[in-house]
Amino acid sequence: MKKSDKFIFQKYDTENLINRRAALVTIAKAGVFSVLVGRLAYLQIVENSNYKKLSDKNRITHRFLEPQRGIIFDLQGRPMAVNKQKYEVVIIKEETEDVKKSLVKLQSILPNTPIDIEKILKEVNSRKKFIPIAVIDDLTWKDFSTINVNIHKLEGIYPQIGFKRYYTQGESHSHLIGYVSSINKEEEKSNPLSKLSTAKTGKIGIEKAKDETLRGKLGNKNIEVNASGREIRELDRVNSVQGNYIQLTIDSELQKFCYERLKGVSGSVSVINVKNGEFYALASSPSYDPNIFSKSISNKTWDNLLLDKYKPLINKSISNQYPPGSTIKPFVALAALEMGVSHKESFFCNGKHQIEDSSLESGYKTFHCWKKEGHGNVDMTKAIKVSCDVYFYQIARRIGINKIAEVCKRYGLGEKVFKSLYEEKSGVVPDKQWKFENLGSRWMVGETLSAGIGQGYFLTTSAQLSLALAQLINNGKRLTPKLVFENEIPNVYDERIIADPSHLKIIKNALDEATNMPGGTSYRSRINGKYQMAGKTGTSQVRAISIKEREEGLIKNKDLPWEKRDHGLFIGYGPTIDPKYAVTVIVEHGGSGSGSAAPIASDIFKYLFNKKLHLKRNEIFNV
Amino acid sequence: MKYLMFKQNNLYSSTLAKLQNINYLLLALIVTLFFIGLAALYSISNGDFNSWPLKHSQRFILGLIIFFIVILFDLRIIFGYAYIIFILSILSLIIIPFFGIESNGATRWISIAGISLQPSEFVKYTLVLALAKYFHSINNDNSFVKTLIIPLIITTVPVLLVIIQPDLGTALIILLGGISLFWISGLHYKYFMVGLFSIICSLPLLWQYLKEYQKDRVLTFFNPERDPLGNGYHIMQSKIALGSGGIFGKGYMEGTQSHLNFLPEMQTDFIFTMLGEEFGFLGTLILLLIYAGLIMVSIRLALKSRSLFSKYLSLGVCNVFFIYVFVNIGMVTGLLPVVGVPLPFISYGGSSMLAVMFGFGLLMNCYINRNIIIEKTNY
Repeated sequence: MKKSDKFIFQKYDTENLINRRAALVTIAKAGVFSVLVGRLAYLQIVENSNYKKLSDKNRITHRFLEPQRGIIFDLQGRPMAVNKQKYEVVIIKEETEDVKKSLVKLQSILPNTPIDIEKILKEVNSRKKFIPIAVIDDLTWKDFSTINVNIHKLEGIYPQIGFKRYYTQGESHSHLIGYVSSINKEEEKSNPLSKLSTAKTGKIGIEKAKDETLRGKLGNKNIEVNASGREIRELDRVNSVQGNYIQLTIDSELQKFCYERLKGVSGSVSVINVKNGEFYALASSPSYDPNIFSKSISNKTWDNLLLDKYKPLINKSISNQYPPGSTIKPFVALAALEMGVSHKESFFCNGKHQIEDSSLESGYKTFHCWKKEGHGNVDMTKAIKVSCDVYFYQIARRIGINKIAEVCKRYGLGEKVFKSLYEEKSGVVPDKQWKFENLGSRWMVGETLSAGIGQGYFLTTSAQLSLALAQLINNGKRLTPKLVFENEIPNVYDERIIADPSHLKIIKNALDEATNMPGGTSYRSRINGKYQMAGKTGTSQVRAISIKEREEGLIKNKDLPWEKRDHGLFIGYGPTIDPKYAVTVIVEHGGSGSGSAAPIASDIFKYLFNKKLHLKRNEIFNV
Repeated sequence: MKYLMFKQNNLYSSTLAKLQNINYLLLALIVTLFFIGLAALYSISNGDFNSWPLKHSQRFILGLIIFFIVILFDLRIIFGYAYIIFILSILSLIIIPFFGIESNGATRWISIAGISLQPSEFVKYTLVLALAKYFHSINNDNSFVKTLIIPLIITTVPVLLVIIQPDLGTALIILLGGISLFWISGLHYKYFMVGLFSIICSLPLLWQYLKEYQKDRVLTFFNPERDPLGNGYHIMQSKIALGSGGIFGKGYMEGTQSHLNFLPEMQTDFIFTMLGEEFGFLGTLILLLIYAGLIMVSIRLALKSRSLFSKYLSLGVCNVFFIYVFVNIGMVTGLLPVVGVPLPFISYGGSSMLAVMFGFGLLMNCYINRNIIIEKTNY
């Protein structure tokens, strides 16, 4: 076959032609690749030193811009956590030949500010070269200007203006709001701000729970820097975005009042709106100044806080669990009513109740009433009013532990109130299954009796008791406990959890008598005014009383060391007609509920009735 | 014998036979390139796997699925539907002005079921498919008009549609890919001469139709210092990053230039720069060798086919792929003007990844079915 121009396509044997053409294309490709390799060799080998200079000299570098944290407001729109300007010093590795030398020089310029050079070096080496590493976090204006004067001697050191968190309410709100501090290794992965060594993150409280909302978004800018690392000009910038604000249901004035009222004792107060589940106060005492954490605090200060026997770092309204003691009795009574026990049925209290127990020598175990001589004939109303233990031993034994547990759980005990607060404890509502799963043994009758008066395995928190009482006293309307106003409230319950509204009348009447009738356990703390409160005291033991001690006479609480004294509790609501608030007061090792907790609750109710009867959210616009 | 195996109607055993016939060297080279891309994206995102690297991996897996779906079809079915596939891809280009998504002044994407796709990426391969079928089917003795007018229209239509988007780079690749098939199919030299001559003559005319920024880019290409912070900026910074990498590079994730985001779209078109900075000349050389290896293996597989259609198709795919690589690396090294062309398998970009896997699926299909003889059909 011959090549012929007559044809549009060249005519060899087609097979051959394709191979030839493909070969030509392949050769062309090889040629092009050689050109590319040559070009790369030229750029990367021949011209390397030139480009290296260019890349070192007028470099374009990258800086992250720290966002401001969102502001935390209270119910009335008062700012509680804000941002304040501060002066800080950072070091950038790529801008200095010798990080250590620069730091040593900085130290010699500021002899009075300790700089942990080893720690900073470690941090510098674990991060990218262009990331500024915090050297001094919060600097006085004087030190700041000293650095600026000497800046030419300090290679790689940059004084800059940053922001620190400031808590306007100080220690009265510290447990609840929490504080921020540097991002640690575990938090790094989930927090985009960790690219910045100067960034802070919430460590506890609302600051931690709502960190994602509050933290904001990093900005960044590209800048041109000269050979000595100083910014020549900005090329482009994406501004940082401040974190979203959040509004708490807490009324800061009320919270402050509660905290002040708790001063001198170790304990907590929680106040809830029984109609909508908003918590207006969650105070804990003693406390600490949250603003110390905005600077790096010394080990000594930290140890002092940590080892203090009154545990100032713990939020006692949600993180400390207590046996509810007699404050559980309204719920046990409710369980009894649901099981068909008549509130008119009475039992005789002679000060003790015995059950068979073959493990003991005597063949029976004795359970004592708090009143040694007994209460005589006691019906349900009187039992709550005078807090008769023997009545509740009998009732508890009759209805059984599982019924008591079911009712308590239904009202929110044994479960975290705020799902989002990491430090919150859930408490324990024991029943047969719980004991088997957690302790691996069978439930004993005696334990039902203990549970009937809120002792034994029972554990609750202050916030739980407030919620439980609120859900009972509002006629059994289930509440969504609220601490933060969210854009969407995920689930607003519209259900009644009370079995029969007539039961509430009986319980309410009994609680009213306990506070407002002579002989009631909190009669001394009653409020004589337009509005009254009603409630139940509780005294929960923290130690077992031995038979020997009972025989020799009980030791008075005030004669015991502080740690061994009973906890004092009080749960109450008010006003008694059309209730609005439920309050729980717990005084750790306060002796008795009526002596320590009820008077505090009384003062809080007086404050509420006089000044805060119509607490309402003041919505925030234009932040 | 092998041909007989494919005749079996047993779907399972024929599928198995196809999988056994895959050229695993080619697949291994593709996977290697993907991992290089993954490492590069991991470095660019400053060690955040969940941003670009994760999505890149997902797209590669999707691409592999497409690859395997394509090779499971009988080659004759692909031959039969070649024009329909081409027309569908052209239709998707046509609807862009009406339903497309605009970004940076160009409308290149359409959204299908929530996924944004760039149809022009696929047209590169569907054009090759259509031309391969056409050249397979023609008789040589027809007149010039009759034989060449159809493939010229087939080629011109997508090129024009892409130019008006406007996306000059992709249009150029489509055009070059098409022309390469004219060449492979044996079109006489003289036509190429004529074509080249007429293009050179019409350049001044074409110039007027270019958008302002496209003119800028071309001008800047000839004189990068013309506008060092505007269009020349990209080329300058890209060269600084590459050049400062030296022979051995600055080390993985240690690139100063690449990590400072001085180049926009570092993760897409300029990703080669970052590899060059961090791995140096040695790294870029190895990468080029892998690409060259992939292309060599492709050519070898292409020439094993018995039918013209297979040969045209596989060589066309291979050429398009080569042009991709060349234009991208030429661009970042300052040899070619800056046109937005990704580096296949390595750049972050969904359509390009899926399209290139689709292309290599076609190529592998041709190889598996290399012994099939396809009858000429008249079109």
